[in-house]
Amino acid sequence: MEWLIFGFLSLWLLVSVFGTLFLKNPVHVILAFLSVILAIAGIFLHLGAELLAGLQLIIYAVAIIVFYVLVITTIPWEKVKKFEGIYKREALLAVPFLLVSFLPIAYMVLNGKFAVSGRVITEGNIQSVGKTLFTNYLFPFEVASVILLTAMIGAILLGRKEE
Amino acid sequence: MKIEIAYILISIFLFLCGLFGVIIRKNLITLLVSTELMLNGVNLGLVSMDKMVGGVEGQVFALFVLTVAAAEVAIGLGLVVAIFRLRGYEGSSEITQLRD
Repeated sequence: MEWLIFGFLSLWLLVSVFGTLFLKNPVHVILAFLSVILAIAGIFLHLGAELLAGLQLIIYAVAIIVFYVLVITTIPWEKVKKFEGIYKREALLAVPFLLVSFLPIAYMVLNGKFAVSGRVITEGNIQSVGKTLFTNYLFPFEVASVILLTAMIGAILLGRKEE
Repeated sequence: MKIEIAYILISIFLFLCGLFGVIIRKNLITLLVSTELMLNGVNLGLVSMDKMVGGVEGQVFALFVLTVAAAEVAIGLGLVVAIFRLRGYEGSSEITQLRD
């Protein structure tokens, strides 16, 4: 049963990833990326990370996708050329490189030994994530808020109309 | 074979597909979407290794990656809009201001 869920989710993910890579229209690319996001949220649920699945749905599928669609509708596409094209020579050069870099990592994952932590999580997943986030990783959490504030100010400055 | 190892392989594939998309696409928006694919691959790897080891720190780091992804998409789309407004194009092969 577990492998059935794995096969369904990973097949969905792979089909969506190929749609993201090879579709021509940017709106279709965004929709395929939304499908990727939903598949990854399902994988997170399967792995037992409920908080990250919810955050994936909230942040990616609501905020980021809507932002992409907004920018695509902002740009007047009739002024720019219609078909964007794909770098064919770079693609042919990149395929063996990616294969060569995929195979050693896969070999190391399959044959390596993973570390084992003695800690056993007794409480729920969301509780332990929140406890770890607000005790051990409180300073990176604050730094993340500063990064978000800086990104907001930078986006406002970049997207402002020139006088 | 445990199921987390299969998910780690899927995450490596997702990361390399994002890299491939960054290499082969021309449109700036699809370049940003490929970068998001790479970040999602990293998230998936962090969560599956977390499940395998039995801790909870990987999910916390995936949360930080999510934050950085949100900041990156705000800045990146602001840059796309600014480049289009100033220059009038949206392909990465036309941005040759410093290259030619």
